[in-house]
Amino acid sequence: MIKKSIPQEILFYLAVVFISLVVLFPFLWMLSSSFKTQTDIIAWPPKFIFDPTLQNYAKVFGEQDFLKYFINSTVVGGLAVGLSLVLGLPAAYSISRFTQKKLALFILLARLMPGISFLMPWYIIFSRLGLMDTYVALVLSHMLIALPIVVWIMSSYFNSIPVELEESAMVDGATRQYAFWAIILPMSGPGIITSVTLSFIFSWNNFMFSQVLSMEKTKTLPIAVYNFVSYAEVDWGGVMAAAVAIMAPAIVLTMIFQKFVVKGLTMGAVKG
Amino acid sequence: MASVDIVNVKKSFDRVEILRGVSVGIQDGEFVVLVGPSGCGKSTLLRMIAGLESITSGEIRIGDQLVNELAPRDRDVAMVFQNYALYPHMTVAENMAFSLKLRGTTRAEIEQRVKRAAEILGLTALLDRRPKQLSGGQRQRVAMGRAIVRDPRVFLFDEPLSNLDAKLRVAMRSEIKDLHQRLKTTMIYVTHDQIEAMTMADRIVVMREGSVEQIGGPLELYDTPANLFVAGFIGSPAMNMLKGTLEVGRRTGFAAENGVFVPLPEAPEFAGLAGRPLVIGIRPEHLRVAGDGESGFEVGAKIVEPTGSETQVTAKAGGADIIALFRERQTVRQGDTLRLAPSHYHLFDAQSGQRHASISA
Repeated sequence: MIKKSIPQEILFYLAVVFISLVVLFPFLWMLSSSFKTQTDIIAWPPKFIFDPTLQNYAKVFGEQDFLKYFINSTVVGGLAVGLSLVLGLPAAYSISRFTQKKLALFILLARLMPGISFLMPWYIIFSRLGLMDTYVALVLSHMLIALPIVVWIMSSYFNSIPVELEESAMVDGATRQYAFWAIILPMSGPGIITSVTLSFIFSWNNFMFSQVLSMEKTKTLPIAVYNFVSYAEVDWGGVMAAAVAIMAPAIVLTMIFQKFVVKGLTMGAVKG
Repeated sequence: MASVDIVNVKKSFDRVEILRGVSVGIQDGEFVVLVGPSGCGKSTLLRMIAGLESITSGEIRIGDQLVNELAPRDRDVAMVFQNYALYPHMTVAENMAFSLKLRGTTRAEIEQRVKRAAEILGLTALLDRRPKQLSGGQRQRVAMGRAIVRDPRVFLFDEPLSNLDAKLRVAMRSEIKDLHQRLKTTMIYVTHDQIEAMTMADRIVVMREGSVEQIGGPLELYDTPANLFVAGFIGSPAMNMLKGTLEVGRRTGFAAENGVFVPLPEAPEFAGLAGRPLVIGIRPEHLRVAGDGESGFEVGAKIVEPTGSETQVTAKAGGADIIALFRERQTVRQGDTLRLAPSHYHLFDAQSGQRHASISA
C-alpha cells in the first residue's frame, strides 16, 4: 500500500466521516426520534439534546400486539426461506452441473419483474381460493423473493465445487442424489448461510405483498408500523420505535453472518 | 480382479468426435498406461470405463460383464483423480470408509480394512486429520487409500501425479508400481508423461486424436515404434528425424533434404526403398563419434551438457538440431566439429508415417 501524507490522511478521514454521516443520518434520526416525545420530534429547530423517553417502545410492545406481528414475520420469513432451500438447492445444483442457462435466466426474470405485476393476479387467485390472510398466501408470495436469491447464490457456489467430488462419490458407490446430500451439501455452509441471510432479510422487509395479502391475522411487522399512521395524525414516535424494533434482528443477523455473506457472494468470482 | 475389454468404442460430444473407434484388450492383473498428448481422448476413455461418460458406440466389458449402461457405482471400479477429490469435510479415515459404509460393510470390518490400507500407505498417524491439513503427497496417498480399501475389480488412475513436484512424482511412481505388484489388481493409468508410462506399464497404449497409434510393452514401443508419432513421443530426449531419400550405389546412405548426408552400410532392408520419400529416425543414444577412417556426417556442437553419467550434445547439421547422447565421457566443446555415425536407425514412410524398417548399422 502507498503511504499517505498527513494532509491526505486528514482529508481521507474527513471524507469518510462526511459520507458516513450522510448515509447514517436517517438511521440516527430514527433512533433518536424513537426516544423522543411527539413534541420533541416535530420541534423546530430540531432538538438534538432532549429528555429520552421509553414511552414509544412501551406503546409498541404494549398497546400494539407487536409480539404477534413479530411471530408472523418470523413464521412467514422462516417458511419462505425454508421452502426456497428445499426447492432451490436441488435446482441450483442442477443448473450448475447440467449448465441450464435458460432455466437460470427464467428464474432471474421472476426476480427482475416488478413485484406488483404478480400482485393483482395473486389477489384474485388467493381470494377465490379463500387463502387471503393465511400463511400459505404470504409464504408463497415471499418465495418469489427468496427462491431466486437461493438459486442464484447457490448455483454459482456449486460452480466453485470441483465436479470430481461427486464423481468420486459416484464411483465409490453413491447415487448422484446421495452424493449431493452427503458430499456437496455439507461443503456448502457459507453459501447456504449467505442465501438464507439475504433472502430472510428481504422477506422480513417486504411491505407490498404483505400489505395486500395479509389482514389482521397474518399481518407482518412492516405493516404493523403502518398502523401508527392514522387519518388524523402520524404517531412518529411509535413509527420510529417500531422501525427500530423491526430493523434490530436484520442488523444483528447481518453483523453475525457478514463474513459468510461476503464470501458467499464473491464465491466463483475469484478462484481459490 | 478382472479383465477389461474395450471394443471399437466411439465418443462424440455434439458433432465433435473425441474417440474414433478404440479397441484395447486388457488382461486380468495387467498394468496398462494410456498415454498421449492432451486432447487425445485418453481421459475420456478412462472416464467411460468408470461410467462417468456415456458411450456413443462400441462395447466396454469388465470381466464378462457388458458395462455400457451400468451406473458407476455398479461397476466395482475405483478411481484416483488428478485433484484427488478428497471429501474436505471428512477425516482421512472417514474418506477411506465412505465407500465401505455405502456398501453396508460392518463397522468392525471397515475399521480393519481402513487400518490395513493405512498401514500399506503409511497413513496410520494421519487417520484423524482432514484433507486440508495434509501435504500434496499425503493427499495423493489418501486418494489411493480410498481406492485400495474397496478391493475393486479395476483401479483407474487419471493423471494422479501431475500435481506433485518432480521429486515426489518419482517416489510415488515407484510406490504405485510396488502397490500393483502387491495387490495384483488390474490397473489402468492415464498420463501425458511418457517417462511415467515407460517406467510403470506392463503395456502402453499410445493415443493421438481419438485413435490408438500403437499398443505394446515399453521396450517394444521404444525399439520398434509403429510410426513417426510413436517414435517421436516415446523416448527422452526425442528421436532425431530427417526427411530425405535413401541412396544406394555410388554412395550409400541417407540424403536428407537439408543437405546432410548420413552414410550407411548397405542393408537387405533397403530393397525397394531407394528413391522414395522417407524419414530417418535416429535416437540420441544411437549416435556415436565416428573413428578415424570411418564414414560419418559432420555436425557443429552447439550445446554440451554433461551430467556425469552421460553427455548430451546438441549440434547443428544442415540447419537442423541433432541431439546425441554419449554414455562415455567426451571432450567435446562448444563450437567443435564432430563426425557422427548411427549405430541403429529406423526408416519411416514420409507420407504415411509408418515404419519400414529398424536397422542396426
